[in-house]
Amino acid sequence: MKALRLAAVAAITAGLILFRAPGASAAHGGLGPVQALREWYKLALALVRHTPTYSPPVASRSLAYLGVTAFEVVASGDSDLRSLAGQLKGLQPLPPRQLGRPYDETLVLDAALASLTQNLFSNTGPTGQRALAAEDAKMRAEISADLSADVVARSEAYGRAIAEHIWTWSREDGGATIENMGFPQHYELKKGAAHWVPTSLILQQQTPLLPDWGKNRTFAMPDGAACPLAPAPEYSEDRSSEFYKQALEVYQTRQALTPEQRDIAKFWADDAMLSVTPPGHWISIALQSLAKENAGVARTVDVLARVGIAVSDGFVGCWNAKFQYEQLRPVTYIRRFIDPKWEPLLITPPFPELPSGHATQTGAAATVMTQLFGEDFAFTDETDRSDGLPPRSFPSFWAAANEAAISRLYGGIHFRAASELGLEQGRCIGAYVNALKTKK
Amino acid sequence: MRTFLTASLRAGVAVLALARPAPAQETIADPKAVAIPRFADETASAGIDSVYKGEWQYMVGGGVAAFDCAGSGFPSLFFTGGEAKGKFYRNVSARGGAIRFQQETSGLEQPNVIGAYPIDIDGDGVTDLVLLRVGGNVLMRGLGGCKFARANELWGFEGGDSWSTAFAATWERGAHWPTLAIGNYVDRREEIAPWGTCTDNWLFRPAMVGGAPQRKFAPPDPLKPSFCSLSMLFSDWNKSGAPSLRVANDREYYEGGQEQLWRIEPGRTPALYSEGEGWKYLRIWGMGIASYDLKGDGYPAYFVTSMSDNKLQTLEAIPPNGGPRPSFKDVAYPIGLTAHRPYAGGDLRPSTAWHAQFEDFNNDGRVDLFVTKGNVTAMPDFAQKDPNDLLLQTPDGKFQEAGEAAGIATFDNARGAVIADFNLSGQLDIVVSNRNARARFWRNLGVNSGHWVEFDLRQPGANRDAIGAWLELRAGGKVQRREITIGGGHASGQLGWRHFGLGEMTEAEVRVVCRTASPTNGAGWRVTMLMFLNVTSRPCCGRRSERSGNASTREPPPKSSREALFKGLNWRARKGSNLQPSVSKTDTLSS
Repeated sequence: MKALRLAAVAAITAGLILFRAPGASAAHGGLGPVQALREWYKLALALVRHTPTYSPPVASRSLAYLGVTAFEVVASGDSDLRSLAGQLKGLQPLPPRQLGRPYDETLVLDAALASLTQNLFSNTGPTGQRALAAEDAKMRAEISADLSADVVARSEAYGRAIAEHIWTWSREDGGATIENMGFPQHYELKKGAAHWVPTSLILQQQTPLLPDWGKNRTFAMPDGAACPLAPAPEYSEDRSSEFYKQALEVYQTRQALTPEQRDIAKFWADDAMLSVTPPGHWISIALQSLAKENAGVARTVDVLARVGIAVSDGFVGCWNAKFQYEQLRPVTYIRRFIDPKWEPLLITPPFPELPSGHATQTGAAATVMTQLFGEDFAFTDETDRSDGLPPRSFPSFWAAANEAAISRLYGGIHFRAASELGLEQGRCIGAYVNALKTKK
Repeated sequence: MRTFLTASLRAGVAVLALARPAPAQETIADPKAVAIPRFADETASAGIDSVYKGEWQYMVGGGVAAFDCAGSGFPSLFFTGGEAKGKFYRNVSARGGAIRFQQETSGLEQPNVIGAYPIDIDGDGVTDLVLLRVGGNVLMRGLGGCKFARANELWGFEGGDSWSTAFAATWERGAHWPTLAIGNYVDRREEIAPWGTCTDNWLFRPAMVGGAPQRKFAPPDPLKPSFCSLSMLFSDWNKSGAPSLRVANDREYYEGGQEQLWRIEPGRTPALYSEGEGWKYLRIWGMGIASYDLKGDGYPAYFVTSMSDNKLQTLEAIPPNGGPRPSFKDVAYPIGLTAHRPYAGGDLRPSTAWHAQFEDFNNDGRVDLFVTKGNVTAMPDFAQKDPNDLLLQTPDGKFQEAGEAAGIATFDNARGAVIADFNLSGQLDIVVSNRNARARFWRNLGVNSGHWVEFDLRQPGANRDAIGAWLELRAGGKVQRREITIGGGHASGQLGWRHFGLGEMTEAEVRVVCRTASPTNGAGWRVTMLMFLNVTSRPCCGRRSERSGNASTREPPPKSSREALFKGLNWRARKGSNLQPSVSKTDTLSS
């Protein structure tokens, strides 16, 4: 993470040069809007990891709202940007600024992100609450130090108004309330050998995670069913069937796993509560990419909003398909028909298999990132360095996406079809995000 | 069973036993019938009014210690107070009578204490205490008469300046001074980004000067990596004679961390068991450890508390000739020990578990499990009304919840606990320390109780409480085994009587087993268990203190196979025996 922090410093400099929104007032000790944004994202990603409710779908949703909030704050003070109101499902026009009155753009952004982050992570533990309060106090003190009282009051009020608008909008999307960490107390499993059965010895996980998530309101795509899967191999126990062959591939891959495949599986594991999760991983890639090009605030919020929307819609679309098929996991099939003592490398997630959530949201994110940064944008991903996972370098976002998708096969938790079809579903979802207009 | 040999005992092992007439058993309406004990909340009448207070830095901890500092056999109590000063309560109960405690000034009353473990560090026969603090830890030397004084300087102990949250102790082979492990939590001064700031755990070993052991501690060795430990336990998981250090870590704060098992061998640098050796990573909110031989195979199972599901770890495989790999599997779910959400109060959110302890609460001869519960602090994802669990073992080896029926289903914010027989009635009582609320004392009323027996192990010289020994009891063809340890639980420890339920049995055999890895015979094992008797020069689990050389000398012969070496002292528990040491019988178990 040290490298990430250093990169952030470079990005801050760029932000100070490039961002001069109308009505901006005094500088504040060198802290510009990009740095404020990065500070809040850094904390948000930490809270994603350390808030038990934050399974990957939940994380993706919050990261989307955070991105939209940041974008709308900046767009409200930048005449070149176009609001997403009217483009995103259910988002009404944001509150207007007071005409002719000065605002401090960094403070508006800080107030908005502080407010929304506190709401989104209201269920984090005492350490998270302590961190939120400390971050808020530190940022506010630093940013407002040289500002007049009326600018502080006006800027903070406006930032909070934007956040409140987004927060109110978010309450009706179907994903606002998470009970029992996302596991329903009762759920009737689909019957039949082809369908998912619990794979965990954790009693809480005997029902699948968030079975209704695919019904949530989407951001950019029409609804959760807008990007259906292409046909997958039909369930079969016949040894000559494609389904059996794909199961055998998972088994044989695990048995002969190379060190490189093992590293790849662990690099993209992104376990809930032990990492920033898959959507957080792509937000991290976005932040690293933005730092690499010293992006200004307008560019930064555009990218963060789009990637957030992409991964969030990715999870809605993926979950919609998952609970259409409710397909069993490789560990279940392999133990039934190939090797009763088989163990996958990764812990099998507690929900149906097809398609791979990581693959779908990765496909959506890669589609968006490629549109924003180009097809040959090489980068080095240091997201999990502090967890002892060495950085990995990629020649393009799709190279990373393909690796992330196949990592689930290496990890033994998905069949090939789930990874490949997930990526394709993600392409479809990402295209809806790319169609959003953020510039006038 | 073979012929018994008669030997005289001195006060090496005191035995407390009583048989009750078997009552008509009240049972849960279930084919897995189990007798439900009954508890009465006697906190007020017992005179206990301790509160573990504090905000963020006191969200963990809240320990309580039970120990006999008066030589009466009755365990007294010390409660940590968090931001407030701790409180000491002398046990003034009458045997079998009402529970009475008397708060006294003991020297233990210090602020910022979150954990307390009794241990006789200097082998003088007077219990000392280790106080875990936010800030410098303190060793308190027992002066006798339930008075204590700081001994950090006397014993060369560096208290440090961390947020210390876990403790365990052992006597390494050949040592006359204990080895202490202290677990530390996050960097408490880091407000915005405390995650990933786990501070080093410490291992304090006996100081050596010119190759000669000293009666003090060397500067601590950091146990790197450390992952924010909330419980530690030295335990001989593989029957090697060299207990390893099991560490429960809180995944909330570490990065790249996991649960840990450290190989601690005399004279060697501690080393983590690796995946290559069979260790399987587990990442939980590790908060407390309890151990017991649940399967009757001679190996301990480990119950590790967490949030939501808790874990019960047993060895994946035990080769016929022993020497298992450190590969553990979680078997909590199939035997009903997940304790993952409240069973009463209507709150269906996941639980938060802290202290855990295996004991036999209904004296049916099957060990049960008690687990404290309580929200960390207003964490809305987890239950706010989260009663402590009393999980009774059923005849089929599974467990079922009986907290509500037993009368302990309250909704305090519990943390540490001790379970002991506070009025020497043969019934195990429960003491729980609560965060920002009054502690609870639940007296076991003895309803539905079977027969029982209790032991207090003593040996001359160092390691007077025989830490590291195994106490085995055979009754009705079934063997119960418990490892004598200091550590584990959540910030709470106890010394004193070791309790077994006997069910309908009126007789039992017992032996004390200590395994000591032989320095000269790698394939051999040396087993001594003669601490009951005044006939051995090799006390169990550690070397006789240089200061107390009144024991005779006799080396047990080396043997070549473990079972053949598994010699022990048998003792026949007799109906109606009391605190006085009684005539015992010795022989080798014919197991």
